[in-house]
Amino acid sequence: MPTLVLGSVLGSPAPLHARGREARSGVAASKPAGCGRFDALCCAPGVEPCVRPGPARVLLLSLGAIAGAGAAGLLFALGDRLSNGDAGTLLVGGGAVAGAGALLGILAARTLGDGPTLEDRVRRETLGLAMTGAGTRVLGERSPPSMSLRVGPTLWLDARSRLRLLGEVTGLLGAERHVDPRPQLADAGAAGSGTQPGTLARRRLGFALGLDFAVGLPYPVLRRSARLGPTELRYRPEVQYRRDWITMGDAGTRIVEHTMLLPLLVGARWHVSPRQRFTFYVGPRFDIISYSSLDGRKLSRGKPNVAPIYGEAWYDIDVPLTEHPRRDGATRRAKTTAMLSVGYVHSRFGGRGFNFGPVIGFLGPIHAEWTVRVRPVGAKAAAQFGAGVVIGNGYAVTGTVGAVLPSLRGRSR
Amino acid sequence: MMSRGSVDLWVSRCRLALFTAAGATSHACAQPECASPDYANPECRVIAENELARLLTGAGVEVRFQEPTARTAATWAATGLARESAPGALSLRVAGPGAFAVSFEPTRPDVDASLEITLDNVDPAASVVVDELGGEREVPAVAGSTRRTVTLDVAGPAVRWIRGARPCPPRYRLAVTADIQTNPWQFERIVDRLIAEAADAEAAGEPLVGLVIAGDLSEASRDDEFETLAPIFARLPFPVAVTAGNHDIYRPLHPQYNRNFGPGNYAFAVCDVHVAMLDSGSGTIARSVQARLPELLDRGERAHLLAVMHHPPYPGITGSGWSREDTAAQALVEFAAADVDLVLAGHNHALHDFPSIDVGDAVLREIIVGTGGAYQGVGVPRYGYLRLRFGDGDDIQPCFVEVEPAGLDGPAGESLRTLEYCAD
Repeated sequence: MPTLVLGSVLGSPAPLHARGREARSGVAASKPAGCGRFDALCCAPGVEPCVRPGPARVLLLSLGAIAGAGAAGLLFALGDRLSNGDAGTLLVGGGAVAGAGALLGILAARTLGDGPTLEDRVRRETLGLAMTGAGTRVLGERSPPSMSLRVGPTLWLDARSRLRLLGEVTGLLGAERHVDPRPQLADAGAAGSGTQPGTLARRRLGFALGLDFAVGLPYPVLRRSARLGPTELRYRPEVQYRRDWITMGDAGTRIVEHTMLLPLLVGARWHVSPRQRFTFYVGPRFDIISYSSLDGRKLSRGKPNVAPIYGEAWYDIDVPLTEHPRRDGATRRAKTTAMLSVGYVHSRFGGRGFNFGPVIGFLGPIHAEWTVRVRPVGAKAAAQFGAGVVIGNGYAVTGTVGAVLPSLRGRSR
Repeated sequence: MMSRGSVDLWVSRCRLALFTAAGATSHACAQPECASPDYANPECRVIAENELARLLTGAGVEVRFQEPTARTAATWAATGLARESAPGALSLRVAGPGAFAVSFEPTRPDVDASLEITLDNVDPAASVVVDELGGEREVPAVAGSTRRTVTLDVAGPAVRWIRGARPCPPRYRLAVTADIQTNPWQFERIVDRLIAEAADAEAAGEPLVGLVIAGDLSEASRDDEFETLAPIFARLPFPVAVTAGNHDIYRPLHPQYNRNFGPGNYAFAVCDVHVAMLDSGSGTIARSVQARLPELLDRGERAHLLAVMHHPPYPGITGSGWSREDTAAQALVEFAAADVDLVLAGHNHALHDFPSIDVGDAVLREIIVGTGGAYQGVGVPRYGYLRLRFGDGDDIQPCFVEVEPAGLDGPAGESLRTLEYCAD
């Protein structure tokens, strides 16, 4: 029984269509390589060199649980005497994504199968538009969505290394407006709608610029490797900038600039299976805060301050949508692949943090995204669409649309 | 009664609002702020603290906390907590040290009420007066107590006032701590130390004029936890100014913090220092409070300015920051623009001093003093309070007074590199 349970958790069943053929023919397919005594230890079918997704996911789940629970336990045990506790909260969030991602990956492998790497999997679009909106249900308030123009051209240096420019210009589509709810100020004549007068308005413009450098390590790295999947190292220096125009009642408007510098953001990606990846980044962060006088335009520029540690953890699952031939035998006119991503960003720079109960002000937001890439057969360009949600201080809905253009040089793996 | 057609219209408008452009406000689905209360939302607590600063007594007297300089009873200010515990029996808790004012306005010409008023959290050294026709009547203090009682007759159309103010010598002290949570017994020890210091300081001509607590008075936002603190606060011979922490506000059904202590967002001026208290319990401040920062930080003629909140707007790498860093950045900007002398916070159960935070061309100093009794993890905890001395020039002189836990002989901690332990 334990073997059965372990097998169901670890096992990477053959792709659905293969299973169908087995069932129809009544002939068992030959075992993939590397299985030994347990099916759970099989290499992923059709993947060369061998990758064992089952044990890899269990290892990731274990590491995530150890990191998350261990860090949470340490934070509680050591308390705030551990004066630099931010690393612990980052591990809690990152560990949770590793664990939850591995479980999701097991579920996806059991239901969708774990085939070889998709030829044209979802990646960052070359040119795209994104919208994020949370809305408001407060009478008299306005919370316009933000829109971003994103670029992500890629330069492949060789089959395993690439450089990607990450650029984004973002802004609110209008001014946010908030009311003063103090009952003594209620005045139908003073309000735009309702009886609560407007008190705070905010406009925002921002940008982000980064270089994402990824180098794949040889696989397997060691001669006697357990073959748990290739890894790559990453370096992504980045700067994020926000400029807010904040109007405070009758006091006036102040410009507030907040810049986040991430000069040493490093990370790694683990290809847990050919269709599933765990990625994390971590690095020191430096913030610069500048501001103007009320109704002034000239900024008083600040110097960098050491800020909370920046981190990200993502689990991506590729989902082929047109892997199998059409039932009517007709040729598909486009190849469609999708990707489910869950992630944790250890930064509340964007104004979102995940809180629960009295745990307020420690964690960053949680992301979940579903992205679909459609590439007409033979086309050099593809279209990409996405929808997602950001959970933290409520939630925001995101939508992206973009074009995937050929890489500047070389081809992806 | 709405027709089926109009109901369908409203439903379709709501659906449209939900599924069209994200973020667009539709008045079809909108409602006034906190029409469905959630007191984990800081804006709802703004409403609560303002509603609790006034009440209409059963006898028809409108009681309102006011700004100390107010001359009209037409509005009110969230500077205290007003309750009527029995017909004609009023309990008025002043939010912080320094000057205060309360108005009593008959709502009908035929009102003729006698109010038994208990004033809480008023410095025994303060002068409290009730205005009388043609003069003023002093409300006597009880030595060593921050409670006073007075009977006030309210009749006819005339508005009555109670006003208080504390005379100050040139040198004085203020104490600051935060994060009591699960350990009110350790906080009792801190109170013992403060009572002793108050006597010594008074004798030295440098009175201790108040204790500021930067949030997390409770662990689980429960009434019984707040009620446990009431008699402990009552032992102090000077007022206590408090604001809410994340542990005080996370139960959304009732504003327990506000019901027990009144406002979390307010400013008070005592002696020559102006103190802005901000309710950051939700990991941010309410947007309406964000808009009022220039007003709350307006020091007027005061020489010193302090900004106090639970979550440190600059957390360093402690891991204990605001949930909305964009709002924290704006708060730091307003502190810099107002030339705040010292930012004081808790949340992190430790003692930290960030002596130079660059914000624009200003440099802010922030001290985290989450040492009021809350759990600090393994090892001997560092409990105590920050003493701020005012009066020797323009500078504020901070030092830390350690109050060891029972069973420990001698200090558990050492001075920080930039923050000394107090010599006495």
